Amino acid sequence: MSRIIDAGLEELSVMLCRMGELTYETVSLSLKGCLNGTSVYSQVNKMSDALVSMSDQAEDKAFELIARFQPVASDLRTIKSYMKIAYDFARYSRYALDISYITKQFGGLKECEKWITEYIEKMSEKVLTMVRTSIDALRSHDTQLAKTIAKTEEEADKMYFEYLDRLIEKAPATSKCTISSVLVVRYLERIADHATYVCESVIYLATGEKTILR
Amino acid sequence: MSYKIETQNLSAWFGSKQVLQDITMKIKGNVVTAIIGPSGCGKTTLIRCLNRMHELTPRAKVTGKVLLDGEDIYGENVDPVTVRRRIGMVFQKPNPFPMMSIYDNVAAGLKLNGIVDKHRLDKIVEKSLKAAHLWDEVKLELGKSGASLSGGQQQRLCIARALAIEPEVILMDEPTSALDPTAAAKIEQLIRILAEDYTVVIVTHNMQQAARVSDFTAFLYLGKLVEYGSTKDIFENPKSELTEKYITGEFG
Repeated sequence: MSRIIDAGLEELSVMLCRMGELTYETVSLSLKGCLNGTSVYSQVNKMSDALVSMSDQAEDKAFELIARFQPVASDLRTIKSYMKIAYDFARYSRYALDISYITKQFGGLKECEKWITEYIEKMSEKVLTMVRTSIDALRSHDTQLAKTIAKTEEEADKMYFEYLDRLIEKAPATSKCTISSVLVVRYLERIADHATYVCESVIYLATGEKTILR
Repeated sequence: MSYKIETQNLSAWFGSKQVLQDITMKIKGNVVTAIIGPSGCGKTTLIRCLNRMHELTPRAKVTGKVLLDGEDIYGENVDPVTVRRRIGMVFQKPNPFPMMSIYDNVAAGLKLNGIVDKHRLDKIVEKSLKAAHLWDEVKLELGKSGASLSGGQQQRLCIARALAIEPEVILMDEPTSALDPTAAAKIEQLIRILAEDYTVVIVTHNMQQAARVSDFTAFLYLGKLVEYGSTKDIFENPKSELTEKYITGEFG
């Protein structure tokens, strides 16, 4: 016989997995737009709004479960982690929106030199992999997979600082490119941070260990 | 660090049936320690061993040690009555002496201990009723029967009665299970206040109550101490899978 709280936890879990997939699409779409110089702002805006609203719904559901069932132990950890993860997912989408705003406002990276677009494309791939890792680790509460994000997070961080150094050495031809590229790498670095937080939450909910993967 | 109570390999039997197995635990002073576990796990027996009440049951047996401030209460020359004076008990069902007034209920233990001075009795009765947070509700009708009070008030009267003989430890066996939620909440608040001056050990079926009122929680299962730790750890991240299953309602 399953516990009454299980149905609520399952509902929350499904909600989070759905958010995860949508958030991946959102980040991926905004990056594609930015690299190609096509504006996808209105589309990303809608997706991002949907994710923020889903995050609010997940928080409401979590609150309801706390109020009605006074969860403890792994139930409590799961709810706390799901609330944090819902917020992290919403943040992914907000950074995706910021990236698509740059494309809309300044034409993305189309004025940038080849080395810059190639660099950011490489960093985008890395960060998208991290987003995927966080979603997959959450779906199966896979702590081993969650731990693997530490290495990619370090690489993404390194790429961010390295980019700034290179930019100082070799200034781009236009200030539009300078501003756009710096902001995009900054947002990518922030998405990478949130993907790492998600993985930390997965480890916490599954084991109770508060791990820092950064 | 010194502990108020320490059990060492404590085992207990009813006839040939062993109900507690090798319980070793250290209970801190001036904190609330909750004992949780499914029915029949030995919770009540454990606290009844802490003030030598278990041996009052026919064919009951206890082995191991229970140290109170480092001294074994089962030692050869120890008088169980003295032990029970130092370690008071409050039961599941409020049990004031029905034929006695509120005043006499609180004073009963004192009178049995030879205190007859009216002025002194008055002072202790008032102090105990105040400590049990009942004084304001009964101060004008101390002559009324204890049985005329509501369930929650009766339980606080029993707490006042236990406090009157100035114990160091208060054992509570499901003290709110016969009360409505409002009366139960008052007792829970009182338990927190009592821990400032006394060591409180509470047996409860209500896990949320243990989570609310206690500083430390012990989980007992089939007469064994499965896990014992800070209430925060037990309810956030229990180490034992059995504890996890019990507190999340997977069994019990």
